[in-house]
Order: sequence, then C-alpha cells, then structure tokens
Amino acid sequence: MRRSRAAYPWTWRVMDGLESLAARLWPARFEKGLPYLMLAPAVLLVGILVLGLVQIGDSSLRVLDTSTFLMSEDLTLANYQRALTESFFATVAGRSLLGSVIVTIVTLIFAFPYAYLMVRTPSSALRKFLLVALFLPFFIGQVVRAYGWLIILGNQGMVNEALGLVGVPPMRLLYNYPAVLFGLVQYMLPFAVLMLAPALTAIPAELESAASSLGANWLRTFRHVVLPLARPGLVGAGLVVVTLSLTDFAIPAILGGGSQDFIANAIYDQFFRTSDQGMGATLSLMLVAVGSLLVGLVFMLFGAGTLAMTGGRK
Amino acid sequence: MAAASAERRGPRDTIAVSVRDVGMVFGDVHAVRNASFDLPKGRFLTILGPSGSGKTTLLRMIAGFDAPTSGEIYINDRPVSAVPPHRRAIGMVFQKLALFPHMTAAENVAFPLKMRRHDARAIPEKVERYLELVRLGGYGGRRINELSGGQQQRVAIARALVFEPDLLLLDEPLAALDRKLREEMQLEFRRIQKELGVTTINVTHDQREALVVSDEVIVMEGGLIQQKAEPVQAYRTPANAFVANFIGVTNFIEGVVAARDGASVSVSAHGCTLPGVAVGEALAGGDACAGAVRAEQIRIAPRAETLGNLDTLVEGTVVDAIFEGERIVYEVRVPGLGDQLFRVFDHDPVNHLQFSPGDSVCLGWNARDMHVFKK
Repeated sequence: MRRSRAAYPWTWRVMDGLESLAARLWPARFEKGLPYLMLAPAVLLVGILVLGLVQIGDSSLRVLDTSTFLMSEDLTLANYQRALTESFFATVAGRSLLGSVIVTIVTLIFAFPYAYLMVRTPSSALRKFLLVALFLPFFIGQVVRAYGWLIILGNQGMVNEALGLVGVPPMRLLYNYPAVLFGLVQYMLPFAVLMLAPALTAIPAELESAASSLGANWLRTFRHVVLPLARPGLVGAGLVVVTLSLTDFAIPAILGGGSQDFIANAIYDQFFRTSDQGMGATLSLMLVAVGSLLVGLVFMLFGAGTLAMTGGRK
Repeated sequence: MAAASAERRGPRDTIAVSVRDVGMVFGDVHAVRNASFDLPKGRFLTILGPSGSGKTTLLRMIAGFDAPTSGEIYINDRPVSAVPPHRRAIGMVFQKLALFPHMTAAENVAFPLKMRRHDARAIPEKVERYLELVRLGGYGGRRINELSGGQQQRVAIARALVFEPDLLLLDEPLAALDRKLREEMQLEFRRIQKELGVTTINVTHDQREALVVSDEVIVMEGGLIQQKAEPVQAYRTPANAFVANFIGVTNFIEGVVAARDGASVSVSAHGCTLPGVAVGEALAGGDACAGAVRAEQIRIAPRAETLGNLDTLVEGTVVDAIFEGERIVYEVRVPGLGDQLFRVFDHDPVNHLQFSPGDSVCLGWNARDMHVFKK
C-alpha cells in the first residue's frame, strides 16, 4: 500500500495533503457555502470601491474654503452647479464624449478587418505575425507608448524629418485633438481586436461559402451575413473601447500637452493641483454617471453583446 | 476509364455538367487527378468514396469555391473556371447545412431570391411554395434553432432549390443525422429531385445512400475515378478490387490464374481451383489475382448436400455469430483456403442463430458471383 502510493509524483501527494487539510478545515456539510467563499475576495474588492464611492459622494457635497484650504462643514450642491454651468467643464466633457465616440467608431473600423484576417487566414505564420504585432505594443505600456509617439511625431521627430527630405516644412503634429484621438485609437486597437476575434471565430466559414453559392457577392455577404452575426462582438468591443477612452488619462495628458484635457485630467487637476477635493469628487461622480448612462444606452439599443456571456445563443 | 465515361446517350440528352481532365494539387498532394465525366440533364449522380478520396474537392470545384489546377469544367456547355460562385446558378446543401442563424426559415429561403434580385413581390409566394415542397408549409416564421435536425435539412434543401438552379450539389448533408432520419431524408431527396427534375450531384461515403438515391454512381479513391456506372452495375460488376471492397462487404481470396476462357476464369489458391468471372481484359494465365465474393452471395449450411448445385463448396468452422436484427453475420474460418476468415450474411428469417461458434459448416457460392481482379 505504502509503496504503491509512493509511486505517485510528489506534487500529487502534496495535493492529497492539502485536500485532507481542507477537508478538516471545511467539512463536507459546508460544501454549499464553498462557491460563496471563493466569491468573497472579489466581492470584498468591489465592496471597498463602493465604500470609496460613498466617501467621494460625501466630499462632492463640500466646497473648498479658499482662505483656510479646508473643506466646508455644511453640505451644499454648489460643486454640481459649478460643474454644470462653467463652460470649462462643458468643454472638457464634450471633448471627452465626442473623442470617445470617434475613437470607438474608428477603432472598430480598423479592428474588424484585422480580426477577420487573423481568424480566417489559412496561414498560421500570418496569424502568429498578426497576434505578435497586436501584442507587442500592448506589452510596452500606455505611458511609454505615448512618449514613443512624442519622439516620432515631435517637431524634430521622424515624421517631420522624413517630410523635410521631400521639402515639406515641419508641421505641428502633436498637442492637438487629432493627436490625442490618434494615440487613443492606437492604444484601443488590441482591445477591440481581442474582443472581436472570438465573435468572428464563432461564425462558420461555411456560412460565407453558402452565401456566395446563393448569389451574394462579398459585399452582400458581409452586409447580410457577417455583420449581423458579428454584432455581439462589435457591441462588446465598442463598450470596452468607449469606456476606456472616455476615462483615459495618460494619452490626453501626454499627446495633448495640457491643451486637450479629458475628464480624467480635469479630475486630476482638481485633486492634485488646486487641491479642491470637493470639485474633483463631483467630476468623478459625474464621469461615473455619464459612463454608466452611455453603457446603459448601448445595452438598451443593441443588447449586451458578448459581455452578456450568453454563449449558448445559436 | 475514358471508354467507360463515353457512354451511349440518346441524341436528345443534353449534358448539364461536363468535367474534362480536371486536376487539383494542394502543395505536393494530388487531391484530384484527371477526373472526366459527363452528366446529362436531370440525372442524379453520387460521388462515392472514403474520406480523403478527393470527392469533396471535386464538388467544391464544380461549385466554384476552388479553381482546378488543370482541366476545365463546363456547365451547360460553358466553361466556368473564371466564373465566381455567386455568378453560377448552383444550389448547394452543405455538410453542416450553413443555414443563417439570425434569420427565420422563410428568410433563409428568400435569401437567394433577394441576392439574385428576383421580383420582390413574388418572393413570399415562392418561398411558401418551396417550403411546402419540402413539407414545411407554415414553418416559415420559425427561427433556425427552433427547428429539428430533419426540418433544418428541409430548409437547406428549399433554400438551395428556390432560385431554380441549373445544378444541385449535396456535400454529405446527411452524414450527421441518425440512421432512421438519414434513410428518410435519402428518399426525400430522391422524391424532390424527381419532382423538379433538377440535375443533382451528391457526395457521400455511405455506399447504401449512393445505391438508394442515384441514377449514376462514381466511385473515387486516391483522387482517381475508379468507376462510373449505374448503381446496379457498380454493385454487380465492380471495375476493380477497390470498388468491390468499398461497396458491400466482400471476401477476397488471393491466388493465381490457372486458366482463362473468355470471361470465365479459374483461380488456384491453396491447392484448390475456384471458378470465377474475370474482370478486365489484361488478366491471363499465371497472373497473381484476387477473387472477390460478397458476404451476401455466400450460402451457409450444416452439410454440403443442402447447398446442392452451387459451383464452389468449402468447409469451415464458425468463429463468431453477430446478430444484427434483419440478418446474422457469421465469421467462418476456412482451413482449406489458408485459414482465411470469411464473412457471410444469413438472411434466413426462420432459423435465426442456427450456428454457434465452434460449429462445422459448409459455405458455397456460384462461379458468376466471384469476380477475379488482377493484382
């Protein structure tokens, strides 16, 4: 008996030991509670965040006393009134919202053919190349990547030098709205492709052959078969991209150079530059509200897409 | 092979599909080699072969999904290699049906009509007519996932036929069905094909299906057409040992040709001389050969006297008896023919399971049922 047990690898025996320990600590009659126990860490993490939200909600109702730099004792809606009436905040909010919508549309348009080629190509070498090309910038991190764009697009950057060689005078390619949107699209592309690829994999290639044998050219096949079936993927990818770009900080900060602030940058300024916690908290809550509203709107119009996790839908 | 495909046709028969020396090479694999055949209008052809025999590749080339690397395919006397699938008038039922899951049954059937810009006002009436043809009248509003496997088959057939294509292609659409439904759908295919008279090419590895539904059968193996014949001919007079083995259950006896006189030939194997029918002109005395006898053409009896007037009689011992319902399959070891195992079907409905393993039995068959192939 002993010898036959010793024949198992030591990792198996360690697992056996752990199992018997777990059985003693967590007897079988508690088994129904096990899933909830495993859920606990995640609930705890989200719970702490909710607590923080309550704290932020409280801060948002207090105004900064500019003579003492302390928050007021009494509660007031003054911050909200400022946020809704001052044109600076409206400009930032409009810029962020419009930007995130444009970035989402452009990213989806770019990501779709990329994901489609990656899924459908018969060449595994090409598929690997596309995956690596997608992930390489992913590994670099957002801030480093944004600095990379500074080097490439700067006044003495590679692009302007190349333009100089053909006699075009240096152009200002940075610190403007298109530069921020460009940076965001480049940052969002891998997310969108990764969300779209499984949705496209789920569309059998045979359906496209069938459509063509039934008389549809590729454009009609795309319009009537591929696009409707890819919708859950498009909605899922769109939701991820729109929320990530609406709340992005680094790209507007670095590629916008302070002149193209998004909501997150405005919040940062309130907390750490003017030290107005109340205003920062107000803007944070309004960003959460606008983001939730946007996502809710998409859910209502298009459904939750792949985020609904109803994989069984045929 | 060319002689076999240049069959006699009446002058009125027009050719719907003509495949001329078609070959397909993937890398260094010859999926199809020098395939040639003609299919007259209104006929039901089945291409039969094991997986990897090139039958699906041939079908995909006719459909236009792949272009042949050599040769040319003619549909209604027009070369079609340069014509993309959506410009060919071919209806196809796919292996996994390929119905559009985001559309109802009626929308699926209407799809080819819309894509081909048929008169929009006539579409609903036509869709309903074809749904009725496949016995799905009233089911048009159902979503695809609300239909059973057999109903989905029928939608796929209606969708492939509704635009009145010149040619209907079936790419093993029945392979996934259970046996009873498959046999029902085989008869359904045959009924619809006869009703509409549409030229049909079916691909399958199911020899029973090929025999049941087709006017003509092509047997393929290793990218080559082995035989093209009517089902009865393919069954009764297989062109070579592969066809004999692939259609039905066949016992092979290896030996040497002892003598040949016209079609009749005698084979010497393990010291016995067995009479048979020669297949092919090349077979001559002294050639190594194989005699093929189908399992159902062998009679089994306890004693030789009961088999009476059969040409060949051998003795053996039952090794196994497998009850399959409508028949019993016996495996019989025959010491006189080098201890070879013979498979024998017994359809005797009266004396079921009359032999058990270990029983001594006598096997017999007629000379005309042993086809002798050159090795």
